[in-house]
Amino acid sequence: MNARLAQAWSGLHGSILGLLPTIPYAPPETATTGPALRAEGLAAAARPDGPVAFTDVAFEIPTGCRTALVGPNGSGKSTLLRVIAGLTPARAGRIEVLGRPPGLGRRRVAYLAQRPALTPDFPVTLRRLVQMGKYAHHGWFDECDHGDADVDQALRLLELTGLADRPVHALSGGQLQRGLLARATVQRAELLLLDEPYAALDAASRAIVERFLDERPAGLTVVMATHDPADARRSDRVLELRDGRLRLLHDCDGHDHRHA
Amino acid sequence: MTATAMTTAMLEPLLAPLREEFFLRALAAVILGGVTCASLGAYVVLRRMAFVSTALTHSILPGIVGALLLGLSPYAGALAAALLTAGGTAWLASRRGTSEDSAIGVMLSVMFAAGIALMQQARSWRDFGGLLFGSVVSVGPEDLLVIGLTAAGVLLSLRALHKELELASFDEEYARLLGARPGLLRAVLLALVALGAVACVRLVGALLTTALFVIPAATGVLLGRTLARVMAWGAAVAVLGGIAGLYLSYHVPSVPSGAGIVLCCALPYLLARLFAPRR
Repeated sequence: MNARLAQAWSGLHGSILGLLPTIPYAPPETATTGPALRAEGLAAAARPDGPVAFTDVAFEIPTGCRTALVGPNGSGKSTLLRVIAGLTPARAGRIEVLGRPPGLGRRRVAYLAQRPALTPDFPVTLRRLVQMGKYAHHGWFDECDHGDADVDQALRLLELTGLADRPVHALSGGQLQRGLLARATVQRAELLLLDEPYAALDAASRAIVERFLDERPAGLTVVMATHDPADARRSDRVLELRDGRLRLLHDCDGHDHRHA
Repeated sequence: MTATAMTTAMLEPLLAPLREEFFLRALAAVILGGVTCASLGAYVVLRRMAFVSTALTHSILPGIVGALLLGLSPYAGALAAALLTAGGTAWLASRRGTSEDSAIGVMLSVMFAAGIALMQQARSWRDFGGLLFGSVVSVGPEDLLVIGLTAAGVLLSLRALHKELELASFDEEYARLLGARPGLLRAVLLALVALGAVACVRLVGALLTTALFVIPAATGVLLGRTLARVMAWGAAVAVLGGIAGLYLSYHVPSVPSGAGIVLCCALPYLLARLFAPRR
């Protein structure tokens, strides 16, 4: 009886939604041929009425590169990641993210904040959280319950299968970070922005995330704000943000620029 | 007395009102209005928008009174007033130095005061008792049509925008990142709450409509693990509380129907608060 009711209900949904056009959240994106990130003369502030965190920042990050963004507290690392994600507008300068200006709706960019701003106690299970990654490839009025094979795979990859039906608010900080990484996997993000991803992680969770980053797909570019020298060593390139300026410390080709 | 006759006698308090046409209309109105308000209420409660829903439900007072004084449709007046409140709140909150809380407080007080001033113009407070406290038993066929159409519009909108509203309510930044316009979704949600408030004003009155948004959904939040289940529990509480409130008012005429409905919805909330397993 329940199954029949569910089937009838689902059929009703399908016919209602079938009447509506599917409108993408963001304009279609073409494959990027140039670098993943390119910025010139960039300046930004954490808050619209706040002081400028950095000025005249320029960098270029090739596709597939793992970059560590280091610098003292308050140097503007989080602000720079948010500018790249299109969540904070730049005060000056130019930035191209996967070949386009940021902030137009980024189905190919995933951003994990240090403290994810999720509505407390919202009734969402971990599986549902990961499913939300699929929305990136759908649009307004579009249903996207087309099987969960990719969700299951992402949960397995981040060793979260046993927690799939747990409410998000009952997860530990580390489990939530891994859940958000699983969502980025389902999203098929090409640029992953991580803000202090290990801050809330115990050793076991950290090992899982490190393995995830080490074994990432070839085209996935990672930019990670971190204080940990070990993260910097595991990265292809190290950028330092200090006193409002960005400096290249270590390059993908292994060249050390600290004394340049 | 036979067993059948005894059963009939026992059920008579439940069956007698069903022979009255006005009661059947009231029943249909509380079912439609209850499901609408509880479904919207899930977002209102989870997004912590109870205060803004109070402002919208109270602010329809001057719209209805003004429309009645001008000989216009009270529903059109109510909707215009609710949308004016939503727009005014958003505009005030966008100005530097005014928090959203203060903006809501200002609009709520101003609109309600305007309603009271307009009621004074009409020189008859008694005419507006049903407006303030509800009068579901006086729902006519035209009212029922308005409530039904509004319910259909609101529920279809919630269904069509379910994944976007859920995403923007749960993780606003991710919605922004994907381009799903959380600001626009908030405006749509406020407009739907305004529509729901207008549809339900006959049920429990301008002063108590906010209870239909908050109490059933707050019960749903205690019992449901997913948004769909929160809505389903909320709708069940609103419908059962609404029906129980109608019967209470029918058999105890000193209890107004609006107050009866709200009190009967509050009972399951209290039970869920006391006995629901901690999640």
